[in-house]
Amino acid sequence: MSDFHNRSQLVSTRRSDYVWQYEYYDDEEPVSFDGLKAHRYSIVIGFWVGLAVFVIFMFFVLTLLTKTGAPHQENPDLAEKRHRPEGRLVDINGHQEENDKAFSRPLLDGSPSYFNFYISEEDQAHKKRKLEDKRSSTKDKVGRHLCSSEIEEMHEDIEESGGHQPLNRLIEESKTDRECAFLSHFNIPNFVNLDHSSTLGEDDLLYEPSIILERQSQAHNAHCDTH
Amino acid sequence: MNQTDCPEVKVPFLVFFTVGIISLAENLLVVVAVIRSRNLHSPMYCFMCSLAAFNTIASVTKTWENLMIVLADAGHLEKRGPSETDLDDVMDSLLCMSFVGSKSSFLAIAVDRYGFFVFQTYSYITIFHALRYHNIMTMKRTGVILGLIWTLCAVLAVLMVKFFDFKFIVICFTVFFIISLATICFLYIYMFMMARIHARNIAALLGGGRDRSQHQRRWGSNMRGALTLTILFGAFVVCWAPFFVHLIIIVVCPMNPYCECYRSLFELHVVLMMSHALIDPVIYAFRMAELRHTFRKMLFCSGWKLCL
Repeated sequence: MSDFHNRSQLVSTRRSDYVWQYEYYDDEEPVSFDGLKAHRYSIVIGFWVGLAVFVIFMFFVLTLLTKTGAPHQENPDLAEKRHRPEGRLVDINGHQEENDKAFSRPLLDGSPSYFNFYISEEDQAHKKRKLEDKRSSTKDKVGRHLCSSEIEEMHEDIEESGGHQPLNRLIEESKTDRECAFLSHFNIPNFVNLDHSSTLGEDDLLYEPSIILERQSQAHNAHCDTH
Repeated sequence: MNQTDCPEVKVPFLVFFTVGIISLAENLLVVVAVIRSRNLHSPMYCFMCSLAAFNTIASVTKTWENLMIVLADAGHLEKRGPSETDLDDVMDSLLCMSFVGSKSSFLAIAVDRYGFFVFQTYSYITIFHALRYHNIMTMKRTGVILGLIWTLCAVLAVLMVKFFDFKFIVICFTVFFIISLATICFLYIYMFMMARIHARNIAALLGGGRDRSQHQRRWGSNMRGALTLTILFGAFVVCWAPFFVHLIIIVVCPMNPYCECYRSLFELHVVLMMSHALIDPVIYAFRMAELRHTFRKMLFCSGWKLCL
């Protein structure tokens, strides 16, 4: 507080041609308190109540985002936003529960297009894949996507990561009891919540990402051990 | 003064001193741990180290300033002498610098996590790209970014204290605060949502059966993720917003009695701001297992050659 006093004093002695527009805590001019209609601390109380409401609202929004909810009608104009590589998420996502449309709720109606992008993509995928055999369609889609678009990069990455297995065998290894072998070859981030890993979740996303990259070669077994 | 006026709420110096010393100790611990241990030399930990360094500067400066105020009130120091005003300038610059720096470090941490996350998304689809981000965000680039942040903060601090008008500073700070809050909010919520898509798609890819217990387990960890995010933002907003509203009120309604009552709580708001430097390491750094492990080694095994 005294630094404000000091600063005003300092400026008035050094730069007298400047005119200070504000008045702050001038002891010579007390603020009059006559005729107050509301309680004198009303701004303070209003501010803290507003802040508490904001934090609680944010928490509820986040927990709502974690739940599965009501179906959301498609946005047809957002269907063409497929320029991001994450668009391919949808094709792998064949295995859906009936009510499992996490972000398709009216709450997100006004949200940025990124979120609606996922909602519309997932809805389309869900409608397409409803009657198919989910597991085989998943594997086929993965295989097709990987083979069709990533062949050149795959070769250099195989050498980088040290794995030597061909792609098809890796895809066929996608059973829960062989999760560890799968992970050890793919180095999937450990914040993904897999079947057995109830202790890992989005928490790890927030504080463990760089560790994965640091243990490139020895993390294959470490992943198995932590899971 | 009228009977209904709002007396200024005075916080005892001991509270300031305690908060300052504890936050200084914690942040210094983080800085030393990251610098000393080899396996913590990664972008994420460097940004956290920079955040902790800014918090250290802030807490040192604030504690020192309060010490000077106490001494000046006790009559040992001349309140308006030339050396005191210069020192005041220096401390104000340091405070500005630490404020802008800690906000920029938050932004850098959020952007780093976000960038990593986007690459992870891409990587699990293609399966082999998990290592790409490590090539994009190298230590050299991290050093460059950190150097830029520190230089920018120092320059801004000096400029603001020397040349600019108080109103302009308030406007700048408020705008920067709101922009950084909005950006961080957006990045984290986006990551949160993408993590959920990740989890479901990976589980689908591995072909697990959808039974009730698995669903409940995932819901439990999602709740924890939501709680973590709420704590992160909640602490940021609760600790910084009162001070900012104070700055705005000074500019907007200096003579209003309601505003005067809000301004009388200034020292409480400053304590809140300082306590943010105290809880920052707890919610960012101490949650990372690697850092905790390094602390334990540093603090408890310093004498023994066996613990290495």
